[in-house]
Amino acid sequence: MKRKKLLSLLLTAAMTVSMMAGCGSAGTASGTSESGSSAGTAAGSTSGASAKGEVKNFTAFFATPGTEINDDNEIQSLIAQKTGVKVKETWLTGQTAQEAVGTLIAGGEYPDFIDGGDGTQQLYQAGALVALDDYIDKYPNIKNYFTAEEWDKLRQDDGHIYWIPEFSNINGEEKTCTHNDEAFWIQTRVLKWANYPKIKTMDQYFDLLEKYNAANPTMEDGTKNIPYTILCDDWRYFCLENAPQFLDGYPNDGSVIVNADDPKNPKIVDYNTTATAKKYFQKLNEEYKKGIVDSESFTQTYDEYIAKLSTGRVLGMIDQWWDFAYNVNDALKQAGLDKQGCDYVPLPITIDESVQNRWHCSGGAFNNGAGLSITTSCKDVDGALQFINDLLDQDNHNLRFWGVEGKDYEVDKDGMFYRTPEERTNCSDTAYKASHLCTYSYFPQYNGTSKDGKNAMKPDGQASEFYDGLQQDVKDTFDAYGVKTYVEMIGTCEAPGPWYPMWSFSGSLTTATPGGTAWTKMGECKHQYLPKVVMADNFEDGWNEYMKAYNACNPQDFLSESQTELEKRVADAAKYSN
Amino acid sequence: MFVCLLIYGVVMAKTKIKEPKIQITWKEVRRQKVLLIWSAAIVLYGVIFCYLPLAGWAMAFENFRPKDGIFHSPFVGMAKFQQLFSDATFIRVIRNTLAMGVINLAVTFIMAIVFAILLNEITSKGAKKTVQTISYLPHFLSWIIVTGILHDALSGTGIINEMLMRFGMIQQPVDFFAHPGYFWPIVAFANVWKETGWNAIIYLAAITAIDPSLYEAAAIDGAGRWARIKYVTLPGIRATIMILLLMSVGNVLNAGFEIQYLLGNGLVQGVSQTIDIYVLKWGISQGDYALGTAAGIFKSLVSIILIVIANQIAKRNGEERLF
Repeated sequence: MKRKKLLSLLLTAAMTVSMMAGCGSAGTASGTSESGSSAGTAAGSTSGASAKGEVKNFTAFFATPGTEINDDNEIQSLIAQKTGVKVKETWLTGQTAQEAVGTLIAGGEYPDFIDGGDGTQQLYQAGALVALDDYIDKYPNIKNYFTAEEWDKLRQDDGHIYWIPEFSNINGEEKTCTHNDEAFWIQTRVLKWANYPKIKTMDQYFDLLEKYNAANPTMEDGTKNIPYTILCDDWRYFCLENAPQFLDGYPNDGSVIVNADDPKNPKIVDYNTTATAKKYFQKLNEEYKKGIVDSESFTQTYDEYIAKLSTGRVLGMIDQWWDFAYNVNDALKQAGLDKQGCDYVPLPITIDESVQNRWHCSGGAFNNGAGLSITTSCKDVDGALQFINDLLDQDNHNLRFWGVEGKDYEVDKDGMFYRTPEERTNCSDTAYKASHLCTYSYFPQYNGTSKDGKNAMKPDGQASEFYDGLQQDVKDTFDAYGVKTYVEMIGTCEAPGPWYPMWSFSGSLTTATPGGTAWTKMGECKHQYLPKVVMADNFEDGWNEYMKAYNACNPQDFLSESQTELEKRVADAAKYSN
Repeated sequence: MFVCLLIYGVVMAKTKIKEPKIQITWKEVRRQKVLLIWSAAIVLYGVIFCYLPLAGWAMAFENFRPKDGIFHSPFVGMAKFQQLFSDATFIRVIRNTLAMGVINLAVTFIMAIVFAILLNEITSKGAKKTVQTISYLPHFLSWIIVTGILHDALSGTGIINEMLMRFGMIQQPVDFFAHPGYFWPIVAFANVWKETGWNAIIYLAAITAIDPSLYEAAAIDGAGRWARIKYVTLPGIRATIMILLLMSVGNVLNAGFEIQYLLGNGLVQGVSQTIDIYVLKWGISQGDYALGTAAGIFKSLVSIILIVIANQIAKRNGEERLF
């Protein structure tokens, strides 16, 4: 009896210990977290490249969600044959950029290439990146990729350059057809039903959604429509919070409004506390109570949101094109929902008709806060840079974005590229993309005009190809408004000034400064209170409560650091204008 | 982690005391060679994974920068702890962790005992085995799956809302994850669902160790089912209950990370964030490793204090205890 008791006690102890040991490892003070393993696999497998004419293998991690391609991808192999380099790319899964980067830093091992996104500044401060200035001159394509002014903008406080922004470069004439940015989107069926009205203000927009939903509460198959949904998952809650800047007619500076009424002395303005912000959230509050705003808005995950949009039920939402279109458009196409008019087009909405909208800025946004870097774990920095250089050659660039001639695109007698309908279907097919196409999408690239002087660098910039490839419902809508592209649909403007965009600054803030701490806290506060404000029974009470919590985060610290940065950028630019 | 080794140590020490004294001779050592090798492996594991990482605690007293490493970062004393405790978020995070820890401890602990006793009362062996197996299977699901199921089941078009509406108990779907008040119960429920069957195994093992003649004697004396549970089963597993309770008390601050991280959203972040999430957010994401370490140290210290207090109480009352 006694022995049995002892035995059971021992068994108890042993089991508990084994259980606790299992869960104990997650909560260590040393700061490694299990969730980092996806990122961690990117590191370590560097082969260091043997110089015997074999293909060198590199690894890359991009702190942004993306899709991995197959290991035997055809174009990747073609590029490997031409350049002698193959890069295994991994992407962010289930974490924020900063979490992934923080985990890499704690581990101390990095992939060869990295784009740290919001975590770039941490990587720099951890000494994980290789200074590129000594190398750049050796690689003509890289050197010519930016002007001296732009290169200087990339210098960090130690005077060195550590990363190459990938997306802002426009060669020759800008050929942009897609509005790759934020907008209020609406399904073409809503516009068609109302006979393509001119929608210019927030009130008109919601009014149209309400009327359409009253007249057509369901889709053709009986599924209930959701008039308006808001994505609010983690860092993607910008879909809720940053509309006030656009509504007031300012471009996407991201974290603040820059008031340049006096061009010599631009001033930072906080868009969270403007009268427009209050009007906007009051409108959302009203629409929420009416049942127009989806009640699951603030609890849905990104995947649920994408799934919802893919069913075609959602009439309208505010989002960045890149955040939904690449997933949703293909899904709608494959389900044949374009025939019901479920594709989205952007509307040039502001708070008042007198306000000029600036949703779309031409010229690309030069983001000096993040880009492609090479890490200290990379054993062959020259090989890595040579590869970046090679990827910018026009031939390789065509291979990346157009594909293989005769298989992915055709050339007509004038030398213009175009695609057959079959080729177009292929390039929106997930399986084909994984096995055949390889854009190396987070490596430096060009937009605008090809070096041959006629074609566009990328298919979606090729006006004729772009228009022919549109879904019928989008074409009809464009025809009705007398436009040819998304950009014409929403209108365009010049980039506002040398400081643009300010988000490249706020994205690189860390909690090392009071402004950075305030910025993080403001984000937390808005993330918690803005949904409350929208759902509040009494809007005024909800808004006052929010303002109280918001002011407790010391937003002034952040705003004054932004003002300093703004002045610095204006002064830096002045040096080059003479 | 430190705590678990501590507990392990005292449990081992305690069980050793109960054995008759053995003179340590070379012969004896040779005879117990295998046992010694096995325990050496465990001691080594403890040293490598529990004690060596403690050197990293030095970070909490520095303005740690990965570039400079532990040896060259500037020393700042208790500044990081001051920063920690002047942060209202951290205070709220402690509250959340403690609250969820206590709720989880209470419900999973009681449910496991109740479930074990109920299971023990089933006479059909086949049924008992089946129920037991089914009930502990959720333990092997990872939290990401469990939270996925919960998210679907509790969504506006999920099974729970559908059922409540079908039965006419509500008119509009309830958005369970939008109300801070529902969050702790949901977490507790998920814990119970996932762990009850697994935790009950230990109690079942303890119950099996009770001498059947005790039950017979009780039955002869006229004790019904209820009385036998009350006077035989419960006292029989009392020692196990006490030890497990003491260990769980030290674990209260490990209220969890995954479930809160995966189920939380902006609206409920005021009640959903635990110390572990705070460490991730400020330590890893914002790169303030020192602050994260300080929060981790605080958590370990509180755990040790809690376990010592609980042990003292047990000692005073003459109960089974750890040390």
